[in-house]
Amino acid sequence: MNPSTEDRFDRNAGALAAEETLRMIATLPARAGLEDRVKAGLRSSARRGMVISWPFASADGWMHSTGMRTAAAAAIVLAVAGGGWGVYSHIRVAPVPSALVEPQLPNGAGRFSAAGAMHVPQTVEGPVVTAPLTEKQKQRASKVPQSPKHAATSGKGHENAPGSEKQRNVIE
Amino acid sequence: MSASQILVPGWMEIVESAVHDEARQHAEEAALAALVDQYASTLYRVAFSVLRNQQDAEDAVQEAFLRVLRHRETLGEIRDHRVWLVRIVWNIVLDRKRRAKTRPETDDIADLARVLPAMGLSAEQRASALQHHARVLGCVEKLPAREREVMLLSAFEELSSVEIAAVLGVTESSVRSRLFRARNLLAELLQHKRSAT
Repeated sequence: MNPSTEDRFDRNAGALAAEETLRMIATLPARAGLEDRVKAGLRSSARRGMVISWPFASADGWMHSTGMRTAAAAAIVLAVAGGGWGVYSHIRVAPVPSALVEPQLPNGAGRFSAAGAMHVPQTVEGPVVTAPLTEKQKQRASKVPQSPKHAATSGKGHENAPGSEKQRNVIE
Repeated sequence: MSASQILVPGWMEIVESAVHDEARQHAEEAALAALVDQYASTLYRVAFSVLRNQQDAEDAVQEAFLRVLRHRETLGEIRDHRVWLVRIVWNIVLDRKRRAKTRPETDDIADLARVLPAMGLSAEQRASALQHHARVLGCVEKLPAREREVMLLSAFEELSSVEIAAVLGVTESSVRSRLFRARNLLAELLQHKRSAT
């Protein structure tokens, strides 16, 4: 026997042995009473299924009638619809105003407002316009004798008087 | 026509319908019980060959018959109940196997040791046989899914290649070519393992 034939023989023997193992597993019998356990399981699940589907179905079978089924279905639909309507009718919806009232903007719509601020222009001390001195007034002013004290007081007191030095400067 | 005349035929119809439905229900239950008696054992063996756990296999059989119960109206349309049931349980066990993939392989072997017949073997021989079976099963698990499935189903002598094809939803020639490939691959794997040890 050459090596390749021997090798093939080994391979075939191995495969056959493997198949033999699988065949043996495939013939292992179940534990006794398998059929009874399966039937019991089916019975219990069928009973549960009936309870879920309709409680009167197993009692006398009247629910198998198409008319009765239709009536029952209609009753269920009515009950659901009535309940829904009851809930709907008790809900008060807040009245919706017919037109929207928009707040009036102080500076017109769509513009920036001044937020109530008022524009006050900066004022400067403006020129004081005085009436020009008449000749008479000029003469009278030159005739009046001026004591140093009086002159001081009069100068102080008529500082802003028309024709004074300061006033003249301001006018200029 | 009076009201009673209208009501009575309607009532009679309801009663007749109820009786008819009850009889039909009894017939369906009897047919299902007969299916359980006839095929529960076969289905169990199919389930066990994949799951290798007694309890899991029984659960799979139970689930298969529950599916039949749910579709019992279609029982009359089925031509070959055996193949149909094997196909149902086959899909269930594959699904369970996929979900329980994390289960260690040693559990399978331990279960197998519990159920394998002693057949007058000594403790040493038994241990050696178990080792051999474990090696074979390990190699079977390494086969590609298609080849493995055909291999497992072909171990059932009661299933022909045509029936295996029907269970798997493939052609008969496809079953044969897959089986050929599976045998070659398995032989290679076993030889490789033997030379490694």
